[in-house]
Amino acid sequence: MSADPIISVNKLKKYYNRGAIKALDGVSLDISKGEVVVIIGPSGSGKSTLLRSLNLLEIPTSGSILFEGNDITSRGTDINKLRQKMGMVFQHFNLFPHLTIMDNMTLGPRKLLGIPRAEAEENARRLLAKVALEDRAGAYPSQLSGGQKQRIAIVRALAMKPDVLLFDEPTSALDPEMVGEVLDVMKDLAREGMTMVVVTHEMGFAREVGHRIIFMDEGRKIAEGTPEEIFEHTENERLKTFLAKVL
Amino acid sequence: MYLYQLAIGDWWNDLKDTFTLNFIDDDRYMLLVKGLGNTFLVTLGATILGILLGVIVALVRSTYDKTALGMRPGAGKVVLSLLNKIASLYLTVIRGTPVLVQLMIAYFVIFVSIAQHKTIVAIIAFGINSGAYVAEIIRSGIMSIDPGQFEAGRSLGFNYAQTMLYIIIPQALKNVLPALANEFIVLIKETSVSCYIGLHDLTKGGEIIRSRTYTAFMPLLAVALIYLVIVMFFTRLVNILERRLRNSER
Repeated sequence: MSADPIISVNKLKKYYNRGAIKALDGVSLDISKGEVVVIIGPSGSGKSTLLRSLNLLEIPTSGSILFEGNDITSRGTDINKLRQKMGMVFQHFNLFPHLTIMDNMTLGPRKLLGIPRAEAEENARRLLAKVALEDRAGAYPSQLSGGQKQRIAIVRALAMKPDVLLFDEPTSALDPEMVGEVLDVMKDLAREGMTMVVVTHEMGFAREVGHRIIFMDEGRKIAEGTPEEIFEHTENERLKTFLAKVL
Repeated sequence: MYLYQLAIGDWWNDLKDTFTLNFIDDDRYMLLVKGLGNTFLVTLGATILGILLGVIVALVRSTYDKTALGMRPGAGKVVLSLLNKIASLYLTVIRGTPVLVQLMIAYFVIFVSIAQHKTIVAIIAFGINSGAYVAEIIRSGIMSIDPGQFEAGRSLGFNYAQTMLYIIIPQALKNVLPALANEFIVLIKETSVSCYIGLHDLTKGGEIIRSRTYTAFMPLLAVALIYLVIVMFFTRLVNILERRLRNSER
């Protein structure tokens, strides 16, 4: 872990209805290269809003987000270029249903990075092998199970060779027996040193894989620390109440 | 019994005679054939023009609906809302007036200089008319795509236009293909009013025969029958298409 943060969030606020609803109420956060940051908290706590702000799918009301030294909220920044370096995995997979798995994975690299088809497909096949789905390259998303779809969504993001991967509740829409296969892929990525920001309800994963846990409630960062500090030794009452409910 | 046979025979002979008079004599059936050709020409041209216009208008309208609220004030926002105003005006005017009136305005007022090219005027008039309906069909297709698709495209680094082009439009078009095909079928019948500007389409072909033979029954029935057969044929095609599209999603 280098000292320079790859993402640096400063006093981020996101208000709806002219401040009547404060989805994010001044959140600051640094993420280092190679770090796995897991954001937990009750629903409506702003954790997804925070994650989606990192690649500007939500436009914050105020505050700044530095990604590799560029302020992504400033007008002059080419957000499309920066998003190529920030992969995102969604709760509902969001695979492109009109494209085969192979085309899902090669569309971005071919059109955005200018990689020739043959090379993009070879790269995609290597990634598919990594998630044990190399035989489904020609299939359409509707022919896959939920767990398979999410594994494809992860390697689709990886095909862009991003510096950071953002996960927005990646296992929440899955049948329980499929959660494991997706978490295993994420664990492998963490082990390989991928920088990851994960919003999840999977406390087991947070504890085992997370380098740092952030607990959010009502749009604020309430507690932050190593899994041990958060799960074993916390003094924070709100965190204790939350953990009592989910553990 | 004999009288009865005589009556039937008379009726049959009459029928044969009027048929011969209306379609065989002077090769009058060719009036229908030529008319049918023009009907297809106008329908096809108007469909292509309509889809072009419709896609553009639908893109303007859905882009405005999706992004205008979140846009920063500036030139882009001004241009977009102006385009949206123009598109809305177009939809209101075209869908709020009868196609026959639009056709006559096109022929007698706007395109007087090219009035000898009736087919071209008809294609433009029906194309502009059809574009308004196609625009709303395509817009509903675009709006029906899960917003997650859009976010997935943007999150990979595609800009708005690329996301539309590679991800949203292909899915939207696939969803609305049957509705677009129906618009084509409606247009086949609608072009029949172009005999008001003297265009020799299928209906006009029947009218010419009627005016020459002074019989209405045969030529009009023939015209109706031809429209019916064409529409039934294309309706079947659309049904097959719809079934195929449904199956490909499974």
